[in-house]
Amino acid sequence: MSAAAQALGATKVYGSGDTAVLALDEVDVAFERGRFTAVMGPSGSGKSTLMHCVAGLDSLTAGRVLIGDVDLSTLSDRDLTRLRRDRIGFVFQAFNLIPTLTAQENIVLPDRLAGRRADAAWVDQVVAAVGLGDRLRHRPSELSGGQQQRVAVARALAGRPDIVFADEPTGNLDSRTGAEILGFLRRAVDDLGQTVVMVTHEPTAAAYADEVVFLADGRIVDGLAAPTATTVLDRMSSLGA
Amino acid sequence: MLWITLREMRAHTRRLAGTGLAVVLGVAFLTGTLVLGATLRANFDDLLTEVNAGTDVVVRNGTDLEADIARAPIDAGLVDRIEAVDGVAAAEGQVSGYGALLGKDGTAIGGNGPPQLAGSWVTDPKLNPYRLAEGRAPRADGEVVVNKGAADAGGLHLGDTTTLLTPEPVPVTIVGLATFGDADGLGGVTYTAFDLAAAQEHVLRSPDRVSSVAVRGEDGVDQSELADRIGEVLPTGVEATTGAQVTDEATEDINRDFLNLLTTFLTMFAGIALLVATFSIYNTFSIIVAQRTRQAALLRALGAGRGQVIRSVIFEALLVGIVGSLVGLAAGIGVAGLLKGLFDAAGFALPAGGIAVTGGTVVTGLVVGVLVTLVAGVVPAVKASRVAPLAALRAVATEGRGPSVARVAAGAVLTAAGVGLTLAAVIGGGGAVGPAGIGALLTVIGAVVCGPAVARPVARVLGTPLARLRGMTGGLARENAMRNPRRTAGTASALMVGVAVVTLFTVFAASLKASAGSNIDQAISADVVVSAGRFGDGGVSPELTAAVAELPEVGRAVGVSRASVRIDGDTKEASAADLGDLSRVLDFDVTSGSLADVGDGELAVSDNVAEDFGWHQGDTLTVTFPDGAEEDLTIGATYDSLMLVGNYLLPRSVWEPHAVQVIDPLVLVDSAPGVSVAKTEAAVERVAESYGDPDVADRAEFAAIASGNVDMLLTIIYALLALAIVIALMGIANTLSLSIHERTRELGLLRAVGQTRRQVRSMVRGESVLIATFGAVGGLALGVFLGWALVRVVGASAGTIEVFDLPTTRLLVVLAVGALAGVVAGIRPARRASRLDILAAIGSE
Repeated sequence: MSAAAQALGATKVYGSGDTAVLALDEVDVAFERGRFTAVMGPSGSGKSTLMHCVAGLDSLTAGRVLIGDVDLSTLSDRDLTRLRRDRIGFVFQAFNLIPTLTAQENIVLPDRLAGRRADAAWVDQVVAAVGLGDRLRHRPSELSGGQQQRVAVARALAGRPDIVFADEPTGNLDSRTGAEILGFLRRAVDDLGQTVVMVTHEPTAAAYADEVVFLADGRIVDGLAAPTATTVLDRMSSLGA
Repeated sequence: MLWITLREMRAHTRRLAGTGLAVVLGVAFLTGTLVLGATLRANFDDLLTEVNAGTDVVVRNGTDLEADIARAPIDAGLVDRIEAVDGVAAAEGQVSGYGALLGKDGTAIGGNGPPQLAGSWVTDPKLNPYRLAEGRAPRADGEVVVNKGAADAGGLHLGDTTTLLTPEPVPVTIVGLATFGDADGLGGVTYTAFDLAAAQEHVLRSPDRVSSVAVRGEDGVDQSELADRIGEVLPTGVEATTGAQVTDEATEDINRDFLNLLTTFLTMFAGIALLVATFSIYNTFSIIVAQRTRQAALLRALGAGRGQVIRSVIFEALLVGIVGSLVGLAAGIGVAGLLKGLFDAAGFALPAGGIAVTGGTVVTGLVVGVLVTLVAGVVPAVKASRVAPLAALRAVATEGRGPSVARVAAGAVLTAAGVGLTLAAVIGGGGAVGPAGIGALLTVIGAVVCGPAVARPVARVLGTPLARLRGMTGGLARENAMRNPRRTAGTASALMVGVAVVTLFTVFAASLKASAGSNIDQAISADVVVSAGRFGDGGVSPELTAAVAELPEVGRAVGVSRASVRIDGDTKEASAADLGDLSRVLDFDVTSGSLADVGDGELAVSDNVAEDFGWHQGDTLTVTFPDGAEEDLTIGATYDSLMLVGNYLLPRSVWEPHAVQVIDPLVLVDSAPGVSVAKTEAAVERVAESYGDPDVADRAEFAAIASGNVDMLLTIIYALLALAIVIALMGIANTLSLSIHERTRELGLLRAVGQTRRQVRSMVRGESVLIATFGAVGGLALGVFLGWALVRVVGASAGTIEVFDLPTTRLLVVLAVGALAGVVAGIRPARRASRLDILAAIGSE
């Protein structure tokens, strides 16, 4: 099984001199294709930094990030942008949609930015999967928070990316709506064959993943396959101790 | 509360800089205008004081027509009589009149406003404001002293020979170069001086007359006392005036004829710039306040009163106004220099000299600048104070709201009333300028109020090609322009007003030119027109007319002289010509009598004045000539056309005996039978060359020359309006920057999901172009409508502008420039937007 994305000796330092903060300390991690991976850790553990660097939103101080076999450090800003547009999908905690565009337009935004037509059959499949059929012509302000996040998930999947990064996707949702979103991500992996990496601090969310990677102080400190909320919670409290 | 405002202002200096800049530019223009006026006034005062610095009393003809035509000469024998008066140290007769000096290239030096003078070299250095800088004083006929500035302008040097047109061509040798005090000349005035005898012969054509006598008193003798004493020995019709009085009169003339017009003209454009600045400032404050709604709500929730919220915004406006006005004042001094350069470049010669900044200028600039900013800040301040304290607890949408129904209704009513009033004034005829003006104002206000209601649909339509061409990026630009119609309309309104004024002038000027062309075509039947003296000064000698008439190619040549007479106490500009011949080369619509029969003791008047004063053919008018003579002239004919000749026509035989110099600004020439116009034109051209090379033109060319003035004026107006447009564009740039600040997270998201920097820039520029085009289209529509109304109303009242012309190409250029300016305005905001750090943008509040 090959990795959709991997970090090799990933190191990230913020600031310099006395105020320097080591956010990532030579992290080695691989996210395998067709798997749903959760990245967990306490605040300040570096989990968001790791995701941003692997997703090409931020650059490493040292080490390498590969998306497929492309080394991100070799790319110009323009190539990096294109890579994000064509091969990566994003779901953020909040403010995921462009307010001036309809749900439908938001979903195909990356394709349209690239100046190409979206794969209609695939988009239909994705839209059906997240259950948005009748809300496509609405603007974000006319959608509930859960509906907005479903649109965001649909957008992340619409370009058939190599890998989808979700940054606390349920952070702003109530537990029932959050469970729906996590269900869609799960289905994207199981039914649509997608690869998903999700940063979260909720054990119940992590339980949807195939495996969990634990970060603390910028290092990977543990891993857990086939997690449940209970095992995750156990592992977390043992790490916290 | 004030410290919060200060803290807030310090945190957002950048967006305040944009607001401040609009204040700076508006005030700079206003101050520049005032400084230029004061400077010119001071410079002219200095120069004119110097002219008469050593002269205590001037003796001159008592008849003053207050026209461009010099006073008639007086008896030269008076000099001896004046010298004998007790207290007179010296008296010298002098000559002064029209004389255009030809430069190296054979064309007249100077003109375009400042007079071209020829006269006598005053030998008493204390009575002569000019000083010999090189060479010597003239001693024999044909020797002249020329002021240095004129010689330099014409490429002439000591020892050169050239021609002086008085207006008869006189060959002259330059034996001396003079300075006016330390300057090279009296502003742009050209000055050529013979010795007294030669000046009397060439300028006055009379050896025993002088234009005036300059008198220097003995030490300790009071000017007015001396004038009184001299007055006692003078015949009636000749007056003795103090040097101070003559200086005052000259100053008054300059103010009345030139400076007041110039400053009024410039102030009007400063007003337009300030109006546009007000829109920009208002819009910026509205946005800043809207973005701070949550903060205002939080302050209210914490117990701040509405007054405190209002005061904090007004305080901010006050600070911006004061700082902007102060900077604007300083910049205004630079603008004054620029404006002066602009007029110099356009051919107006203005006197040199230091910049004069008066206390009045400083106070006016500051007060206007601060008031404008305050007015623009009050409405947003009141809106800010109305926010409910609870709003702080909700996420407040600062955008997307369309205009209220009340606003749309008010706008529609205003626009309808304005358009209706304007149309009524046009259709009603009779030149109802007042109602039309009020209608125009209401229309503009209505359009500004209505703006937000139409912004969304118009932006949708205008943005369609953009969305087609640029795909998603263009589509997003369109959506952004549509998302907040109030802001889009508010931003565009400044440009709309600017473009409307530009369009108004463009349409009016085009119509004026078309009318002039059509009038000239209808009025002139002559084949060739010789013209000189574009600004109502100068002209050619009647000798030229005679020489042209001798040509075998020419059938008839008629000179038209500029004349000036007083009727019933008022000075009237008139023309003098051989009226029988004139009626054959100009198509007069003679309404009574016959022009050919108007002879000695008669004159002809236009229907216009006949109607105004209740005159009829056969009535007798008492006419005073420049030399003081009075004659009773009978109205021999009345006519309808005003083209080229004006309201009063005198036979040459009536005018010439009283004229000091006979100067013809216009000669109308008919070809001999069977001779082509081109041949005649070439023949006339050859003769004209030795007369200072006046313009020789066929009818079409003459129409073009006549409209040349309109083009020049339009160019100046464009340059002056450019500042208003720049202010409007800065408003667009500022609004975009603020919008981008507001949409930071959205931009971050777009970048995250794959919008390239180039696409971000393209999107912001697209929005800028849409806003600018919206403003330009609105302005164009308003300007065309108001221009049409103006042409019709003025046409009905003055009769000089009869054709409405829509200069399509020019207006398309205006539109294109407006849209293109949007690209320029968008450059900086676009660059800032594209440089946003993605992670910081997504994470920002």
